Amino acid sequence: MGSRMPLVQQEGPDDGQLVARSVKQDAHAFGQLIDRHAAAIVNLAYRMVGNRAEAEDLAQEAFLAAFKALSTFRADSKFSTWLYRIAANKCKDWLRVKRPGQGFHDVDADEALDAHVAEERTPEGLLSQQQVAQELEQAIQRLPPLYREAFVLKHVEGLSYEEMAEILGVNGDTLKMRVYKGRLQLSRELADLNPTR
Amino acid sequence: MSPMDEQDLVVQRFLDQDLTPEERVAFLQAVDSDPSLRRSWLNLEMVVAEAASLPRLTPSARFISQLKAKVAPPSVSVWDRVRAAVTAPRTLEWSLASAMAAACVALVAMAGLVTLMPERIVEVPVASAPAQTVAASAEQEPTVFVRLVLLQPEARSVSVAGDFNGWNPGQTRLERSEGGMWTATIPLKPGRYQYMFVIDGKRWIADPLAAEGTTDGFGSQNAVLDVATL
Repeated sequence: MGSRMPLVQQEGPDDGQLVARSVKQDAHAFGQLIDRHAAAIVNLAYRMVGNRAEAEDLAQEAFLAAFKALSTFRADSKFSTWLYRIAANKCKDWLRVKRPGQGFHDVDADEALDAHVAEERTPEGLLSQQQVAQELEQAIQRLPPLYREAFVLKHVEGLSYEEMAEILGVNGDTLKMRVYKGRLQLSRELADLNPTR
Repeated sequence: MSPMDEQDLVVQRFLDQDLTPEERVAFLQAVDSDPSLRRSWLNLEMVVAEAASLPRLTPSARFISQLKAKVAPPSVSVWDRVRAAVTAPRTLEWSLASAMAAACVALVAMAGLVTLMPERIVEVPVASAPAQTVAASAEQEPTVFVRLVLLQPEARSVSVAGDFNGWNPGQTRLERSEGGMWTATIPLKPGRYQYMFVIDGKRWIADPLAAEGTTDGFGSQNAVLDVATL
């Protein structure tokens, strides 16, 4: 569980070779790119939008957008970086439309969360491992989109700040602050659920 | 969210392993003496650890198949494929080495063809010697080219009918040349063949120059051509 994605060199043709073949209308080559990167893109989308069906739709849009724009892909950059960028933008566009006003922390949601877990504590009043995981997933959904995006890429997808900077087109220091704030919000929410921590 | 203070930033940088060795030592000493700081740090470490262990989705088979179907080229009819193949501009790439190799192959093939099919002409001079089989080379080949000659200045057409063409006078016609000479060159396997000339499509005569003859069972003589292997 929790196998990290990034950017592992595959056996056989590398991504650059598959892209070159895809540009020449080799559908099988693009199919191999799909096989290699589908999980990463679907998981990024899922962590961003919180819904599997929506995540697969967004991931599909991202791949199709990449396929149509293959001729613009620069061979000196990584295909995965480019694909991540397309997917991240698709997710943010979706959030902008579907969930406007999510830039601010929702206090009411916190209170609802407290009520939700009140009956589920262990006798010691602590959350179990599984519950922590579930609460963390939901807490990630409550992060502002930019913090969520940065936190997911850093700690769920396991990318470095350098890779994230390349994907998002944002400088490393700004990204670090987004990750810091995301971590802080998550840790405070989970601490609230386990007051003895 | 309230702005982060200096201590918060140090904790965050520690999580990213972004502290100098001296800063690390200072941080760990502070954690050792400050339970609140220690708790905050551990909560953050827990968030990072849990995030790295979150279950990952496996894309559904439907997602993969739908996506691949959308990027597959549209199916093309056989006719369109043939037309595209025939009309597609092509670039012929060649190298000197491959051109020379192809030329050598062509030369060998030509030499082999000539060797396999030597021209064997049987000269049948009107005035004297009968038809003879002449080997074009010392090597015996299964096909011998036999030339038949007949002097018939008054004839409008001359053909030859025999064992080799099913006795069909319309199949093997002789060509007229100067002086009323009619000739034809026929490829034959070694063997014995009976034949007759047919003048103007109706008059059958034996080759007057044939070395051998035989009766045809109808009261006439057939010429016999013995095509021997050497």
